[in-house]
Amino acid sequence: MEENQHVNSAPYKSPSKNESESQKVSRLIIGMDVGSTTVKAVVIDPETKEILWQNYERHETKQPELVRDYLNKITDSFSSVPRENWRIFITGSGGGTVSPHIGSKFVHEVNAVTLAMEERHPDAGSVIELGGQDAKVIIWKIDPVTGNKQVFTSMNDKCAGGTGATIDKIVTKVGMKNEELIKIPFDESKLHHIAGKCGVFAETDVVNLLKAGVPSDEIMCSLAEAIIKQNLSVLTRGNVLRDTVYLLGGPNTYLPFLKEAWKKRIPEIWKERKWKTPEGISPEDLIVVPENAQYYAAYGSALFGIHEDSSIGVYKGIDELVNYIENGRKDKLLSDGASKGLVKDRKEYKDFSDDYSIAPFQQATYEKGSTVKAVIGVDGGSTSTKGVLMDMDGKLIAKAYQLSNGNPIQDTKEILAQLRDQVHSQGAHLEVMGFGTTGYAADVLEEAMLADVNLVETVAHMRSATHFYGDIDVIVDVGGQDIKVLFMENGRIKDFKLNTQCSAGNGYFLQGMAQQFGIDIKEYANYAFEAEIAPIFNYGCAVFMEQDKVNFQQQGWQKEEMMAGLALVLPLNIWQYVVQEPNLKKYGKRFVLQGGTQYNLAAVKSQVDYIKEKVPGAIVKVHQHAGESGAIGTALEVIRVVQEKGESSFVGLENAIGITYTTTTSEDTRCYFCPNHCSRTFIDTTTPTGLTARYISGFSCEKGTVEDEDALKTLNEKTKDLKKLYPNIVDYAAKLSFRDFKPQLIPEGQQIEEEKEIRSLFKKRNMTITRPLERASDEWIQKRKNIRIGIPKALNLYSTAPFWKAYLQTIGIPKANIIFSDFTNDELWSQGSKWGSIDPCFPSKVANAHIHNLIFQKSNEKRHIDILFFPIVTHLQTQLKNTLDNAACPISAGAPEVIKAAFTREKDVFKEHDMTYYAPNFKMDEENLFKDQLFQNFNELLGVTEDENEWAFHEASKALQDYDRLQKEKGKALIEDLKAKNKVGVVMLGRPYHNDPGLNHDILESIQVMGFPVLSMQSLPQDKEFLDEVFGKDVQEGFITDPMDITDVWKNCYSENSSFKIWAAKVAARHPNLVVVDLSNFKCGHDSPIYNVIERIMETSNTPYFTFHDIDENKPAGSIKIRTKTIKYFLERYEASLANRQFRLAELEERMNKKREELHDLHRVSGDFNVQFIPHPLSVEANEKETVSVS
Amino acid sequence: MLKESTLEKDKLIDETLRHFEIEEREKLDLLPNLVEEWKKPEEEKFYAAQRGFTTILLGGLTKAHDYLVQGGFEGLGYKVQCLECPDSEALRYGKEMGNRGQCNPTYFTVGNLVKHLIQLRDENGLSVEEINKNYIFLTAGACGPCRFGMYEAEYRKALTDAGFPGFRVITFEQKVDMQAVKDLGLEMNFKFYKTLIKAFIAADLINALGYRIRPYEVNEGETNKVLEECKDILYKSFSQKKWLSIALWKIRKKIAKIEVNYLQPKPVVDIIGEFWAMTTEGDGNYHMQSWLEKEGAEVHVQQVVFWLMYTIWEVEKFYTDRIHLKKHDEKGLKGEKPKKALRLIRLSRVLLKAFYGTYARLAGLKMVKLPDMTEIEAYAKEYYNTSLSGGEGHMEVGKLIAAAKKKKSHMVLSIKPFGCMPSAGVSDGVQSRIQELYPDIIFYPIETSGDGAVNVYSRVQMMLYKAKLKAKEEFEALLTEHKVTTNDLNGKAAAKKVQKALHRSPHRSTSTASNVALELV
Repeated sequence: MEENQHVNSAPYKSPSKNESESQKVSRLIIGMDVGSTTVKAVVIDPETKEILWQNYERHETKQPELVRDYLNKITDSFSSVPRENWRIFITGSGGGTVSPHIGSKFVHEVNAVTLAMEERHPDAGSVIELGGQDAKVIIWKIDPVTGNKQVFTSMNDKCAGGTGATIDKIVTKVGMKNEELIKIPFDESKLHHIAGKCGVFAETDVVNLLKAGVPSDEIMCSLAEAIIKQNLSVLTRGNVLRDTVYLLGGPNTYLPFLKEAWKKRIPEIWKERKWKTPEGISPEDLIVVPENAQYYAAYGSALFGIHEDSSIGVYKGIDELVNYIENGRKDKLLSDGASKGLVKDRKEYKDFSDDYSIAPFQQATYEKGSTVKAVIGVDGGSTSTKGVLMDMDGKLIAKAYQLSNGNPIQDTKEILAQLRDQVHSQGAHLEVMGFGTTGYAADVLEEAMLADVNLVETVAHMRSATHFYGDIDVIVDVGGQDIKVLFMENGRIKDFKLNTQCSAGNGYFLQGMAQQFGIDIKEYANYAFEAEIAPIFNYGCAVFMEQDKVNFQQQGWQKEEMMAGLALVLPLNIWQYVVQEPNLKKYGKRFVLQGGTQYNLAAVKSQVDYIKEKVPGAIVKVHQHAGESGAIGTALEVIRVVQEKGESSFVGLENAIGITYTTTTSEDTRCYFCPNHCSRTFIDTTTPTGLTARYISGFSCEKGTVEDEDALKTLNEKTKDLKKLYPNIVDYAAKLSFRDFKPQLIPEGQQIEEEKEIRSLFKKRNMTITRPLERASDEWIQKRKNIRIGIPKALNLYSTAPFWKAYLQTIGIPKANIIFSDFTNDELWSQGSKWGSIDPCFPSKVANAHIHNLIFQKSNEKRHIDILFFPIVTHLQTQLKNTLDNAACPISAGAPEVIKAAFTREKDVFKEHDMTYYAPNFKMDEENLFKDQLFQNFNELLGVTEDENEWAFHEASKALQDYDRLQKEKGKALIEDLKAKNKVGVVMLGRPYHNDPGLNHDILESIQVMGFPVLSMQSLPQDKEFLDEVFGKDVQEGFITDPMDITDVWKNCYSENSSFKIWAAKVAARHPNLVVVDLSNFKCGHDSPIYNVIERIMETSNTPYFTFHDIDENKPAGSIKIRTKTIKYFLERYEASLANRQFRLAELEERMNKKREELHDLHRVSGDFNVQFIPHPLSVEANEKETVSVS
Repeated sequence: MLKESTLEKDKLIDETLRHFEIEEREKLDLLPNLVEEWKKPEEEKFYAAQRGFTTILLGGLTKAHDYLVQGGFEGLGYKVQCLECPDSEALRYGKEMGNRGQCNPTYFTVGNLVKHLIQLRDENGLSVEEINKNYIFLTAGACGPCRFGMYEAEYRKALTDAGFPGFRVITFEQKVDMQAVKDLGLEMNFKFYKTLIKAFIAADLINALGYRIRPYEVNEGETNKVLEECKDILYKSFSQKKWLSIALWKIRKKIAKIEVNYLQPKPVVDIIGEFWAMTTEGDGNYHMQSWLEKEGAEVHVQQVVFWLMYTIWEVEKFYTDRIHLKKHDEKGLKGEKPKKALRLIRLSRVLLKAFYGTYARLAGLKMVKLPDMTEIEAYAKEYYNTSLSGGEGHMEVGKLIAAAKKKKSHMVLSIKPFGCMPSAGVSDGVQSRIQELYPDIIFYPIETSGDGAVNVYSRVQMMLYKAKLKAKEEFEALLTEHKVTTNDLNGKAAAKKVQKALHRSPHRSTSTASNVALELV
């Protein structure tokens, strides 16, 4: 919902004076705001500051042209004012390009808005402006000493770009019309989690919610909540918004629910931070949306001119601008760097079009009165729903495609009706033999329509491609949200890559771009092929591309050129960002392109060119049913399944088309079975024949699938059994970290032995003396008994907490007085995130919320926390050998300082709550230094003596060893069991905080409930027997000096957690029963350098390897599900291959026994025989693995 | 005899069975894969015997630094070639060949090397074998806690993927190898480091003079023209192993002739941040230094020698943190002579300061001294634990406080790569509190990623506007206070000869114009 959709259509408006009065002025100042989508202009009288003229229009990427038109209109309107008395000041993101050509001075938008606000609203305390790309905050702070006003200004950072543009896209995605939008009330009881920090992450969340059936109005309210949260946590940089708060910009002006949300949330912050608002006025009334605010930037830039010297900004007419539009633009663009267009001439276009255009689908014809027996495959994709009818011989007989209108059930009903009508319109009768579904909406459709098949997308696409194109090497599927690249070998998927969240939304991005330019997506290619040159977009992140788009637009690029540029960037995104392989040749020569995006011939052209350049002689085909390939693959699977089981579970075509449904999100549907308190949506469906079903969405764990205590009990029992059968050691480790390891407290009258150096006249010698352990004073000992210490469950505390807890217990802090924050959950994050001031990785940001949790939740009158202890651990202990350093990640280490700043910046929250925030630094990998640091710090804080410190250090180290040992015991037993049963276990490669269920997004739990046990890296055994088995050969051959050495694969081992990940990867690569799931967060600077190392280790050994990179605060349940379903598919196959191998080994043993007997019999009979032995070059002990790697 | 015969037969049975097993395994598809576990490729070294035909490629600092280091190394007898300043094309190569999620200094610098090698191959017609044989790349390595420590691996990955497997990347750290292998090509001895440091100082000085004079030059472009000539003089002095002092004296005379007008109130903008992002002069930071000057600011950059001071401070801290311990650890001072080491470190600091001061005086860079690291540490430590290393460590925070307390600048711009761990992930969070404590200083952090220049400029402009107002207000307040006009000052300036390029007024206010004015009133 963008501001320009509400543009005042009147081309001329004189708000304050009539035309004749306007002509009376002798001087004028033009203020112009050239924004990312619109141009706004005012003409003011510099004497009175009154607006004489104003206009507001969408520029359709033709900014210079519209500025020219405005200036012509102004010239017509103010012909009586001498030209030398005209001055012009320009603002807005596009102002810089136009400005030099008309003699204007450029004014920054924030400064312009500040001036306008100071003029129009001197009472303003803050401004929040949401524009198309930029969000801005202005706060007028009063200096407590001088009483002067100081202006604090801030704009969104790079990642949070695209505020208005993101809202626009999401409005389109949820399929709401303007008239519906303005009627939505902000209902805080129906909020769902959406990431506000990034437009792409937000879109991913929205797709997931939509496909789970969550109503559009709830999604829009949730989006408003997300935007507000993000702005309050990052854009204000931790400052409290001063009253009165003015809301500016298109979204704030035109979306009532957004305005309501601000009115709700800002007063909450004022209350929490004890900000005093004027008495007698309701805080909500201090949040105002002024009228005509769309002109403030233009008006402010004109005001700016009043204060400037009269020689500045003298208008020089439009001649230069016209010349620039007509002649200079292209030269300038070429000199700035441009690529060639998609084709060099019409002939190339025609040849390509002839070769690659998808022929229109010829619908099958039927005899009147005949019965058509067929199955249906439906692909409920991220942006569109596709359906196909396929006869029982696998022939495609009808297909349907439509962009999603919001609800997946509704979309599917319409698709089914379309399919039916294609048969019925010919007078034939359709008999549906089976129904299957795939894609984001697969689960809800399976439940509502009793599908025969719910097929994982990757497999669906593979089936379809091989069905039509047989023996192929690579399938490139580009959908609305996802890119999937499947690598084939002998007709089977050998390996595949999926985009991460960060590279999501490519197909939809092209569609959105076309829409922004007012072009039908079907016409995209026609425009793009027109461009002779194109701007060079950066690939990877769609938000950054969006910013590039604005950037290019401002430089003067035209829409045709930008569309060509975007098409050209697609293959880079696929191959350089998702697949990450510059050498395409290694995958083979036969490529099939499919997915809805391949209907766009411009996108196809750039991909074909890219592939053919990298792989000379490549054969690239575009799937003849590119958009429906998922649905086709599903239909093929349905045929197989119904033929096998002899019947279908499908509710029936008419029943499905006639399904009615209700969606409910309320406090009644909220899940209270765990601390997350997920907002759930119930979708109840009823078929015309009375079949009912309920689909529940929006939960984050299995508990969300039930509705009452009894069902929960049954589920818990079932889960308990399942967990017993398939343990999750990561989950176990998370809880174990904060358990009591029962350290031995210092006994009364404890004696200790000490080495002393005795010096005599002639020599010095060492001797052991026994003396009493020196205790602190009684006062300190007593004090320690009453002190409560809060520690956040965050970052490296997941690997070091046993040490700290045991240390504190040993020196006399009662265990009940050591209070940890909760595990990360939505509520904790939501409450604490508002205190942030920067936007690093999620694990670091969430630490803020844990401190908040300790201050505001865990500490209370009865159990007041006195000290908040958050150690700065710069270096970690290591179990590895030959490392160069054992550094902790600098963000993890520095987070305690960032948090201190956040809670003390405007006022000291710790002091306010009578707490001491204590964050000393520790280097844990140097024992003597570490001990000294402990002593220095805890002596200062709690009067600890050196002897007490020594004792506590010993006990704390023991606790850490126990923590490690307990995991390893479980790991060892589990691996033995896996070996015995030919099963596989999934090793989580992650950093310590990935043990936190709130940070691993329950990915591991979902793998566990699929029937695969999960191991932590620390649970991998390190006993001699195991290490010899795994690394004996490497040590023997001299690649490494010790099994705990990783220098054979990684030289730069500085980061302990990264190095340990590599070691664990090496173990998994050498063990047939272990596979890997690699978790990594968005912006993780210590993981990114080792992505490639781990991938090489895994790929070389053919170990199944699945990655969840770019994890962030959002939890895209649907995307995660698609990935975990894929993992399940591959692991089942892998296990089957292990079992099959076992079977073949048994067969071998039988044959060997038989042969042995034969030989012995022969020997007995003949008494002599001779054979020539030929040694085989291969070692028979080695294991075989299958290659799988998922991003 | 019987026993022997039985043993022989048992052996034969076993051998037959083993043969049979292999055949059966083949039939049952039970043979193992031939693939071994992955190992990182072997690294080739650079040997002394190869020096004559090997060109050392280097780059990554400012253009002046790269050029003078080239001169210095040539003077030591090496063949050297500087790479061009990394541009957007280099970034594209870096992104294509590098790991996903790296920070942009990696993409720019790695891509720049790949770009150059591709040029050698495709435009100069050299074969990959010739390139691998005749060229090496020299870069700084580091054991830092941020990903900088892992850059070297990125070079190797990118070079392999770009078709140059085996291309040699040598890091400064290989001094350790020097002891083990005596015939290494790069002799990282005292002479090597002395030359390097002298080149750094000379380049720092010439850059500092440029930033000091350029904003006030009367004839547009004159400063840069003169500086180019000066760089050539310095380069020759290094490459021909002549006295640096004489070369500095020569350039001083040239620079002194540049016409200036110091009575223009311009905002002073301090650039701090991540080392590479704030140092590079190209697309890597959107040409920020020259852009700011064009927008009317006087820019203060961080000199490379400041970084050396920081590393000396780090080493000194390493020793002082441990020297009092009763027992030492392997990763600590075990086997070391800490007192002697500390004396050496402190001596090196004094020498560096002395050299810098002397050379600065010779070059005409007046009133400049190296930052006092103890002072920066003292400023920062309450807010940023000084044991937190990585990137600039506590320095960013310390520098902002110093800038505020000493009125060194109107605005501090912190430039860092997108997602920079120590800077964007820690320092910026702490800086939000510093800003609150020192509201008079304008602080703005920007993350660079090589794209979206308009957005970045827009944000910096927003802040620069405020800085410009401050500079103007400061100057006007001074005129009012001393009841003088600009014309009065111009008259006095001519009489007192302060409008000389190398003139520097004592630091009493923030802007150069204010300081000159205060000297005149």
